[in-house]
Amino acid sequence: MLSELLMIVVGGLKMGAIYSLTAIGIVVIHKATRTVNFAHGAFVLCGAYVTYGIVEVLQFGWWAAFVLASLAGGLLAAVVELGILRPIRQADSFAVITATIFIGIGISDIYRLLQNTEILAVRSMIRGAPLFIGDAMITREQIAVVGGAMAVALIGVALFAYAKFGRGMRAMASNPRGAVLCGYSSDAMNALAWFVGGAMAGVAGSFAAPSTGVTAELSVAMVTAGFAAAVIGGFDSLRGALLGGLILGVCETLAAGYVSSAMKNAVSFLLIFIILLWRPQGLFPEAKIRHV
Amino acid sequence: MSRTGALRVFAPSLFVFALSIAGLLLGSYWQYVLALSISAAVIGTALAMIVSYARCITIATGAMLAIGAYGAALPVVRLDVPFLVALLFATALGGLAGLILAVPGVRFRSHNLAMVTFVFQAVVIIVLRQSKGLTGGAEGLPIPAPVVFGFRFSSDADFLLLCGFLSALVILPLIVLLEGALGKNLRAVAANESAARAFGINVNRHLIAAFVWSSAVIACAGAIMAPRYRIIDPDSYGILASILALAYPIVGGMGSPWGGLVGGAVLRALPEVLRPLADYLELMFCILVVATIIFFPGGFGSFVTGTFRRKPAKLETSARSEPRRAVHDFISDMNILGRREVRPPQDRSRSTPILRISGVTKSYGALRAVSHVSFDVTAQTIHGLMGPNGAGKTTLFNIVSGLNASDEGQVLFDGTPLDDVPVESRIKLGMSRTFQHAAVFDKLSCVDNVLIGLGLNDIWQASVRSVHMAMHSQRARAERKAAMAALDAVGLAHRAREGAGSLSLGDQRRLEIARAIVSCPRIILLDEPVSGVSVEEAAGLRELLLRINRELGTGMVVIEHNISFLVSLCNRISVMSDGRIIAEGDPDVVVNDALVRRAYFGEREISA
Repeated sequence: MLSELLMIVVGGLKMGAIYSLTAIGIVVIHKATRTVNFAHGAFVLCGAYVTYGIVEVLQFGWWAAFVLASLAGGLLAAVVELGILRPIRQADSFAVITATIFIGIGISDIYRLLQNTEILAVRSMIRGAPLFIGDAMITREQIAVVGGAMAVALIGVALFAYAKFGRGMRAMASNPRGAVLCGYSSDAMNALAWFVGGAMAGVAGSFAAPSTGVTAELSVAMVTAGFAAAVIGGFDSLRGALLGGLILGVCETLAAGYVSSAMKNAVSFLLIFIILLWRPQGLFPEAKIRHV
Repeated sequence: MSRTGALRVFAPSLFVFALSIAGLLLGSYWQYVLALSISAAVIGTALAMIVSYARCITIATGAMLAIGAYGAALPVVRLDVPFLVALLFATALGGLAGLILAVPGVRFRSHNLAMVTFVFQAVVIIVLRQSKGLTGGAEGLPIPAPVVFGFRFSSDADFLLLCGFLSALVILPLIVLLEGALGKNLRAVAANESAARAFGINVNRHLIAAFVWSSAVIACAGAIMAPRYRIIDPDSYGILASILALAYPIVGGMGSPWGGLVGGAVLRALPEVLRPLADYLELMFCILVVATIIFFPGGFGSFVTGTFRRKPAKLETSARSEPRRAVHDFISDMNILGRREVRPPQDRSRSTPILRISGVTKSYGALRAVSHVSFDVTAQTIHGLMGPNGAGKTTLFNIVSGLNASDEGQVLFDGTPLDDVPVESRIKLGMSRTFQHAAVFDKLSCVDNVLIGLGLNDIWQASVRSVHMAMHSQRARAERKAAMAALDAVGLAHRAREGAGSLSLGDQRRLEIARAIVSCPRIILLDEPVSGVSVEEAAGLRELLLRINRELGTGMVVIEHNISFLVSLCNRISVMSDGRIIAEGDPDVVVNDALVRRAYFGEREISA
């Protein structure tokens, strides 16, 4: 009984870590450029597809997959920002949000045109006998994914908090004009933020590929989960997004294990709804005093 | 609205019905395509209300269509209810669904509101898919052809006529609202929520109304179209359907209901016309939308109108128009409206305070923006409020007009405490204002801006006034006459039909004044009326304000940094610094006050 629960929780943490990574990318982009990116799922899909190409087609190692998937996700995001969003950012958030919605659908559709199959399977990252804690079986892959994704997520959080470019992005976020006056180039900072966010989405795609496979549906599924995780965390908090992803993942597997698989699909929507209504600032808001 | 008003309201319905009649000449397959197109035109028009007017993103369209389709089909299939009754039921159900979506939804804006609609969409489809016993689940629900008064609409031609007729009928009320006061109010909300609220528009109720109307019409469109599909299943009303529908008004044009209507009709027919390219359609669709957003931000509709509409005469814009009519003429116009007894200026004693501010305090964190401020504004006088930047003047205005709540203290308006009077109701008491950063509703014409200034903007009033406008009734004409008189009073009558966003800053301030005076308020709060305005224009505005004060007996509180302007305008001046009143009295005395000079110039000026 208890071991079953443990297995469910660990399984949830695995998907949760991937959600965290996706959500952190969304939050980085939102914090730095005030843009809510509904196209984020497409960047995850891009990372997953590159991973398939590297691991399954070219038969290279996983390290190459991680590097190239993050590059691909990051470049795609930077291109979207520089080529499409930069010219319309002056208008208003309405134009930008609708543009990201359709960019997301468009990229998924390009994938569908390139690869007209139901699902592409990707082999798991690590083979080997599972470990046992009592009766609970935990696969090496689960450990690798949770550990790896968490490590990447923490690196992202640390970069944003401590590195020089993170400071620039935070400056852009809190006062774009002030940051420009201090010598930051807003176009460059925006593109960089999108690159970092997209790269994290690409890595999330790498981690997700073995368990979900690569399908066009991955895009909507991941953007939904990423948003739910970000909303749980308060949308502007990186640490909140990290925890939010883990909470969402565990809630999903608990719902699938103890209620029904339909409930699993509804969990992220219900969480978004409950959190927005009950605690719109999220469970882990950043301490911030805002002047009206 | 001119004589063309009625045509404006009926044209979309006539167009839709004419389309279905013309379709009788086509083959059976194209009649089916045309029915799809007409249905999408209805959806597009309904989305225009939310997307083009209120500028909210909704991705719940598929869910609303599904609610309409199942809401009409289930009573017909399971209970043998007549088609038209089921159709009415489905429409009402759609309205109810819009209410359920909007009541929690409108607490948010922008992406969070979009998320709420997304959640709604997903949950509705999951529920429909799961309740297999009732809906048939993913296998689908077969639906018989509609039967109306014993006639079975089974052929494509018959169905097209039915679809065209019902669609024409259902968009009529929508167009009345969109072209009338409700539509204008929604545009005002999208342009500037604070200004909209200050003129009596309850933002949330307007957004809820928009969602209810739009959802009811979308559900109705879903219900009409469902029998033609023969069998419906939840997944064809999924998230993708919602997103594609979102494109209708965006691509078609955000400037009028026609954008959504034509956008829907064309975009829905496109996949059928371009069958050979079926695989690439979705991608082309996305590219089309993104390209529209980048290159034609208002959609193709505004591109077309921008190219072909006669440009306003350029000569007029450069010539400064002087106020032509006496402000006094309002009074007769306002009496036609019969909404407030307008008193001749001299019958009120100049000593009664119209506005009494006592002990008002407001803090933001550790910053005390307004600290125990008390002063009286005498009826029919012009009261200046000056002070260095950050003194708390605008915060005080926001408290008086109700946009911000004070921490302590009280504001009395004509003896009535304003604590429990929401900002939206204060215009009806006779209080209006202008804004520090000119806050005209840029997408609306000047005369529409002023019409909103009348303050008759309860959701119910706005709906009734929409009908009046559509019928071009005496009441609507009187309102328009009053608005034109106000525009004339500020010298903007010649630009009444132009977009407010195209005015110069000085003219925008004039427009704000016209909007503030049209309701014949007893007091106007003017926040920096001449900042950024040329010297000549400032002199013109001063004359205008003095005349309004003299002829209408309107009291004013004026914030201004231009001290010579303030001194020559006001009967009395209060000076604020660091959130407190530091001096009050006659203008000449106040500007020579040592404390005031210190607040402005610092210590050295005093000692010198």
